[in-house]
Amino acid sequence: MKKFLSVLKREYIQRVRAKMFIVSTILLPVVMSLFGLVPAIILSIETPPMRVAVVDQTGRMYSQIRQALFNDQQEPESQNANAGAPRTPPRRSFSRFVLEEVNATTQPLDQIRASLDQRMRARELDGYVILPPDFLSQGKAEFISRNAGDLFSPRVLQQAINRAAREQRLIDAKVDTKTRQELFKPVELQSVKAGADGGRQTDSSASFALVFGIGFVMYLAILMYGQIVLGAVIEEKETRIAEILFSSVKPFTLMMGKLVGVSLVALTQLAIWAAAFSVFALYGVGMLVSPEMRDNIPSIPLSHYIYFALFFLLGYFIYATIYALVGSMVTTAQEGGQLAMPIILILVVSFYLFWPVSRSPDSPFSFWVSMIPFSAPVAMLVRIVTQTPPFWQIALSLLIGFSTVFVIMWLASRIYRVGMLMYGKRASIPEAIRWARQA
Amino acid sequence: MASDNTTVKLDRVSKSFGEFTAVRDLSLDVRAGRVFGLLGPNGAGKTTTIRMIVNITAPDTGTILLFGRHIDSNLQDRIGYLPEERGLYKKMRVADQLRFFAEIKNLGGKEVDKRIDEWLARVKLSEWKNKRSMELSKGMQQKIQFITAVIHDPDLLILDEPFSGLDPVNVELLKEIVLDLKRAGKTIIFSTHQMEVAEKICDDICLLNRSQKVFEGSLREIKSSFGRNSVAVRCEGGDGVLDDPALVSKLVRHADEAQALLAAGADAQTLLKRLIASGAVIGKFEMVEPSLNDIFITKVTEPA
Repeated sequence: MKKFLSVLKREYIQRVRAKMFIVSTILLPVVMSLFGLVPAIILSIETPPMRVAVVDQTGRMYSQIRQALFNDQQEPESQNANAGAPRTPPRRSFSRFVLEEVNATTQPLDQIRASLDQRMRARELDGYVILPPDFLSQGKAEFISRNAGDLFSPRVLQQAINRAAREQRLIDAKVDTKTRQELFKPVELQSVKAGADGGRQTDSSASFALVFGIGFVMYLAILMYGQIVLGAVIEEKETRIAEILFSSVKPFTLMMGKLVGVSLVALTQLAIWAAAFSVFALYGVGMLVSPEMRDNIPSIPLSHYIYFALFFLLGYFIYATIYALVGSMVTTAQEGGQLAMPIILILVVSFYLFWPVSRSPDSPFSFWVSMIPFSAPVAMLVRIVTQTPPFWQIALSLLIGFSTVFVIMWLASRIYRVGMLMYGKRASIPEAIRWARQA
Repeated sequence: MASDNTTVKLDRVSKSFGEFTAVRDLSLDVRAGRVFGLLGPNGAGKTTTIRMIVNITAPDTGTILLFGRHIDSNLQDRIGYLPEERGLYKKMRVADQLRFFAEIKNLGGKEVDKRIDEWLARVKLSEWKNKRSMELSKGMQQKIQFITAVIHDPDLLILDEPFSGLDPVNVELLKEIVLDLKRAGKTIIFSTHQMEVAEKICDDICLLNRSQKVFEGSLREIKSSFGRNSVAVRCEGGDGVLDDPALVSKLVRHADEAQALLAAGADAQTLLKRLIASGAVIGKFEMVEPSLNDIFITKVTEPA
């Protein structure tokens, strides 16, 4: 045990002290916040409104379109007013239009087109819409614009014209204003999870997002630290220290010390980032991030938080140990990188199980994938927040998972030791199996 | 300091890897307080034997006793092992590194700091204490590696090719340390194929060849059993005589003298007479003990 701690301590201190660790710890939040802020800043850059002429041959549509476009621009504002936080939706700057009506009755269409085209060339106009006389029945209009690359504005325009046409058709069908408003009133769907005691209800969509977040952080942690675990296992082979160590420490002790040491480094870094993020979220851009998110800290039972932590650790360790196993078989980090590819695949597949399991959390399929160690972390978490399975299932899943971690580490240490005795040779899979069996 | 106690006892030990037998039916006794040379050509089974003694790998058959007990991880702490394949953590500072190697031998606390300073002073590397090992030269690294094997004051020290790649000054320095440890009552197993070094520091030797023991015993006995059948000659002329296979079975020419191994049935007197008769001017003619190197080569090249 003392030797295990010595190995662990060395692994941890050497890594935490390394410049790489300090730099990446500081840099990631900075980069992340840039990723968050830059698009917001770019989107909030005011672009000049789009000047669009409407050639309304029906003679009835222009005001409707104008209203529809205008409401579109107003709507988010009113929502904000409800939420109580003044903010500018970035979307707005893209959907700003200046409309003008072109009288279509006095001139023939060809002449109008020609003069509008000329105004476009003179950059007095950005585009024009032609609504043919049979527009309301046929539903076909034409949009000519200077900037064919603009994918966004035509869509906004189309939606507005769409709404306007619907409105006008209803007016034509003699539907009164009140009925029209009622027809378009949106429905509200509240997703509520039935509490185990029948009375208490928890916000399942929020806990769902949380599980997704945990899964994602797990995924990131594995991607970032798996490679480091692999490197740590290979380190003694590359520096040729392994033999000295094995005259003092059992291979299993060494491997466990390294695994736990690197993992503590990972947790340290994640904790720093989590702390930085919470500070950032609560004080820094709290105003920019949607305020609902802050209000809706979901009412999740305490036991769930414990499960989240346990399954996060399980997921991390299961995959980290496979990296250690790969490390025990290869002689250089480069070889290890290639061999580690399939691990990522298993990881991605297990992540996709999120959807089938969330749809039927009680099915036999969900049960089995939440017992298989490689898919259990995500699958079981999904089950816990959807329809919490009986405690024995959760306990069994954890037991299987953590036992697997130990079995893999035991295998890895055996392969490592035999591999060390036969220098400079990378183990093939059958060889690795034979090595593991060799005393 | 020599005693009759046996520090390491191997009894009919065999070890194979798949088809390949690395060590076959090996028995040997390493006596306490002596320097035991484990000699043999490359691939003779020296390293495998050592690995079984330090409990890195277990023998297939046979028993190994250390200090009269079967090996376990507690006994490992009483061994210092400097393998032939050795290295250091590149980015770790020398002192941190030595402390780590002491810790995994169950030695900690203030005592380690004291010993680190003592040992660094002894190998003249005190000013490198806080440097990263990648900044050290190869020879310096080797001396640090040596310290990792002795910092916990082991009762049994196993050195596998400890001097390879060192300059003569440092070889002398480490050799003195090894002899000091011997005087302090430590048992030392010394594995090498550098016979000149082995000859100078070993009390007992065991020669391994093709996975088997060729002979074992004290260096003195082995040498005398080979008899004085070697002559060191320095002369001008007389080449024809020295090249006569009836008189000289093997001739090794050094810079200014030659070493002649007498052929079976020939004696030194005849050789001397023939040299004088041939008109050679003789500067030196001396009967010498066979060197360990000669014994080694004779034994290893003998048909099995």
